[in-house]
Amino acid sequence: MQLWQAVLIGLFAYLGRNQVPWFFGTTGGWYGLGRPLVAGLICGIILGDVKAGVLCGVAVQAIFLGQITPGGAVPSDLNLAAYIGIPLAIASSGSPATAVAFAVPLGALGVGLHNFTMTVQAAFPHRADRCAERGDARGVRRANIMATSVSFAERFLIVTLTCFIGAPFAQGLLNALPKFVLDFLQVGGQLLPALGFAILLKQILSEKWMIFLFIFGWVLTSSFNLTTTALLFIAIALSLIYIMAAYRKNEGASSVVAATPSTSEENDDDYEE
Amino acid sequence: MTIMKNNTKLTKKDVAKANWRWNFFALSSQNYERMQGGGFAHSMSGALEKLYGDDKEGLSKALKRSLTFFNTEPQLGSVIPGITLALEETKANNPDFDESIIGSTKNALMGPFAGIGDSILVGTLNPILLSIGIGLSSRDGSPVGPLVFLVSWLAIVVTMKYWLFNKGYSMGLDAVKLLTNERLKNMITTTLTMVGLIVIGGVASTTVKAPVIWKFTSGKMVINIQQILDKIMPNLLPLGVGLVCYYLVAKRNWGSTKLLLGILAFAAVMVALGIM
Repeated sequence: MQLWQAVLIGLFAYLGRNQVPWFFGTTGGWYGLGRPLVAGLICGIILGDVKAGVLCGVAVQAIFLGQITPGGAVPSDLNLAAYIGIPLAIASSGSPATAVAFAVPLGALGVGLHNFTMTVQAAFPHRADRCAERGDARGVRRANIMATSVSFAERFLIVTLTCFIGAPFAQGLLNALPKFVLDFLQVGGQLLPALGFAILLKQILSEKWMIFLFIFGWVLTSSFNLTTTALLFIAIALSLIYIMAAYRKNEGASSVVAATPSTSEENDDDYEE
Repeated sequence: MTIMKNNTKLTKKDVAKANWRWNFFALSSQNYERMQGGGFAHSMSGALEKLYGDDKEGLSKALKRSLTFFNTEPQLGSVIPGITLALEETKANNPDFDESIIGSTKNALMGPFAGIGDSILVGTLNPILLSIGIGLSSRDGSPVGPLVFLVSWLAIVVTMKYWLFNKGYSMGLDAVKLLTNERLKNMITTTLTMVGLIVIGGVASTTVKAPVIWKFTSGKMVINIQQILDKIMPNLLPLGVGLVCYYLVAKRNWGSTKLLLGILAFAAVMVALGIM
């Protein structure tokens, strides 16, 4: 891996990090560029092997599919997992199973780094307090923007250096592994996406019978070789039929409330809990 | 000193500026002490400067008010700085307005919007779009999947964030009634969940694999186990693996680390026995 490639990967890792503002805030950053699926494409382009990059991204993404970050607590730092695991995998073997093997422990390591920056960045609101004291609005803004330098130092340096220094080692490590371990990584990598889907299912299943929707989609796709887009339209049609049937009762009164909120003030107390 | 201090109104441009500042910088200095307080102040600061003009003391008080602890799901929660901006405008033009209403409004809204935002946007919409992206790319590694995900996610959420902030500003507290409407919320969540589950099922079937390489041999007869499984139903074994994992997570409360180690142990045993 060339240094400029490692630097570019480090930059995108920073842009896709939690809290970094530059690409539509958290929407384009952590929930956009930071997703392993997108990281795979970006690393693939930078390293000159788009197909391998995307396949590695798909493999890593599938495992972390059900991860959410409530209240700034990160269960696993998928940004670090993706932006180090995928480039090292492309540079060494190009196999998605390797990307998964690198990514999982890195995800756990990233949680520690996240907690570190979340603590250090507490210095910046205090700086903002002093600016607010003298009515300096510009200073308040500057303090908020400056805080992202901590994220930059953490993410850019760690990802760039690890990718640049680690690539030759990753290659050597893989060459030294016995066949059993490589087979194990291969099989494990194929089974592990079940983890991501299981956690996602637990998260979004609101009623028990809905597990059959999952099985329905599964059976339909594997039996008829449907594309995802075709499946999406079937899914939308079915859901609309259900919603129309389930929500038809008492439509008159409550849908008016939903569409045109009343302007009366007396209900404001409801929201002050 | 006159009692009516000033009568400054925020223009559309001022509101848009605060809106974009929240859009980009909400989490910029997120930390365990104030969480998004710094980002909230950043969003309000330009409008406050204009509203208070030369009144440094009033500006200082308003800035300090906006720097307090604040934490919500910043995408769906963008309605809250919108509402607060309307309240700050009222306060700046009417000194009799009780400023504690501003703080209590923020405190009252951040929890519910964090809950709704985490479940609908982060917990459901984002993984569904990711699943579609995975489905588009998992067979051939084409760049279409990541691009479709990124573009659709940005288009939906950035538009929504912008609209919600403006809605919050123009409707004030009435926006809350619209957005926390149980029936509407349930309809959106149920539609998303149903579409999501079917799509996720399809994508999972192309992603989770459990190929059996073991062949049963007896004399001249060789039975290819994988072929038999495929005749019953394609992808039968991976579906079984997926459902067992779901059972362990949902009914046995296995955490992700425990399940990860469990799957790896299963893989090691299968490889050691020569089954997979």
